Amino acid sequence: MNIVEILISGTTQGAVYCVIAMGLSLVYGTSRILNFAHGALYTLGGYIAWFLMYGGPGLSFGLAFAASLPLLFCIGVALEAGIIRPLRRHTNWQVNAIMVTLGLAFVIENGLQLLFGPKTKTIPAFIEGGVSIGGTTVSLYKIALVGISVLLVVLLELFLARTRAGKSVQAVSQDLQAAAQVGINVNRVFGLALGLSVVLTGAAGILLAPVFQISPTGGWSPFLKAFVIVVFGGLGSTRGAMLAAFILAFLEAIVVASVGPGWAMPAWLIVLMIVLMTRPKGLLGVWEN
Amino acid sequence: MTKPIQDSRSRPAGLSSRFTGAHYLRDSLAFLGCAMAFLAAGLVIGENYVFHILILICIWSAVIAGWDLLIGYAGVFNYAQLVFFAVGAYGSAMLSVSGGLPALAAIPLAAGIGGLFGALIAIPSARLKGEYVALFTFAVHLALPSILQQTRGLGTGGSTGILGLPPISLFGQTFYAIDKQAWFLMALIVAVICIYLIYFVVLRSRFGLALLAMRDAPAFSEALGVNGRRYQIAAFAISAAITAFAGAFYAHYTAVVTPRILGTEFFLMAMVMLAIGGMGRFPGALLGVCVVVIGNEVLRSFDSYRLVALGLIVIGSVIFLPDGLGGFLSGRMKKRASSADPT
Repeated sequence: MNIVEILISGTTQGAVYCVIAMGLSLVYGTSRILNFAHGALYTLGGYIAWFLMYGGPGLSFGLAFAASLPLLFCIGVALEAGIIRPLRRHTNWQVNAIMVTLGLAFVIENGLQLLFGPKTKTIPAFIEGGVSIGGTTVSLYKIALVGISVLLVVLLELFLARTRAGKSVQAVSQDLQAAAQVGINVNRVFGLALGLSVVLTGAAGILLAPVFQISPTGGWSPFLKAFVIVVFGGLGSTRGAMLAAFILAFLEAIVVASVGPGWAMPAWLIVLMIVLMTRPKGLLGVWEN
Repeated sequence: MTKPIQDSRSRPAGLSSRFTGAHYLRDSLAFLGCAMAFLAAGLVIGENYVFHILILICIWSAVIAGWDLLIGYAGVFNYAQLVFFAVGAYGSAMLSVSGGLPALAAIPLAAGIGGLFGALIAIPSARLKGEYVALFTFAVHLALPSILQQTRGLGTGGSTGILGLPPISLFGQTFYAIDKQAWFLMALIVAVICIYLIYFVVLRSRFGLALLAMRDAPAFSEALGVNGRRYQIAAFAISAAITAFAGAFYAHYTAVVTPRILGTEFFLMAMVMLAIGGMGRFPGALLGVCVVVIGNEVLRSFDSYRLVALGLIVIGSVIFLPDGLGGFLSGRMKKRASSADPT
């Protein structure tokens, strides 16, 4: 594998990791809940799109993708209102939140297995063909993947920075109490954050389906990767998450190219250990943890 | 709620906390009485299938007690409990199958290895907080199956696991797995020792008090001179050693060890037990074990829906019964006591 291939693989992976990790970071930033079901929701996104394309309505890829996003948003809002919000009344809600989201992950995982069977599903790439860069052929699909991912990230950043709702999300993540005092409906913000987060992770699940295929238990690895990225980038910092996503994606590409794909996950874990041991705050972290 | 606080103020010398001695003898006897009743119930029914379920209850009790020590009492969000179980099971399997040790020597050695492993996990965890610990430990759990796969050459057997563990031999007699009654007796002894060690020896000592202090007021207890890091590592080691002991015992009971013990089903079972039973509320977690093991057998006919059902039960019980059965029962008792004594 030459340097061009590493660069290309790092860029495409990094862009998608960015989308997944920003979703996780958004929810943790606002509601301080580490969503263990993030990976399962990633898988759910893939299955929803697959179902819309081949299971029933038979939509095209673009339509299925567009139809999945509002559905995913509603799922996120419903989950927040249904199973996360009731926990907050209780004193040790943190451990309960971990329990509930882990339980949810297993429900989704096994529910999907019941509905669709344990076999992997696949969605063919929506664009065929490729272009040649520096002697290596890059599929147009990968370029589109980067494009869509960057678009999603930019849209999210614009939403957070420009709109009223986005600003209230930022306010809640900076200071929950103060935000509530100036009249921000905190519960609605939590719902919005989880909704957006599910949209992001689900969209990533759909976009990556042609590469990694969809299987019920396929969400754990992206979840752990997203977590490593969020910790490495610094909790509460979306910019940090972006930076970390690309650094770690390039690292992964190098590891895969030099010692083999079996070592990608151990490499991520080692990075996690080193980061937690030496700089728990992360690259651009806001909170000491 | 104010009443017990006033009580403890009026008796400054009497550390009236449940963990330092009040009613120690009474509670111990009550516990042993329950164990005897459990034994008697098992022997009266005396059926192999029932013995098997009771053995499972005993083994799970030891595991969940160990988990409760960490997650409920020490307040450490540890999700690597089944890793300790697996370390015990694999440790004992490798020692007895590859190393040729008798089961009776391999099991305690495996518990020791488990304790060391627990301390190893604890060293990084003690530097982290809250969800970070949860994630780090859960990452270890998720990584272990692939590590077992990679270390096939060391005798872990990869995805097939290790077969043909020797049965336990005691007093010149060998107990095969078919002899359910003997295994039930042994499992009950193991469980009673493990539970007693955790809830009556460890948690009722100064060590246990320090753990509670660390959980409830970390900064203040540090100021009083509790070395939180050291205590947390010790708690991990104790919990891991006990869980590994249970794992090793389980491995010799079933005579096979496979990576299945790290699979979804076992993890969900353990989580449901803790969620239903309640964390850090002594008999609660053990009640959870009984309910879940029996319920799981009842649900066996729903096979494919069972895992979804278990997951839904975790969510439901955490939302509607946030303190679990243990909290529910003690809440009811408190309410009754306060209504009987309106002052």
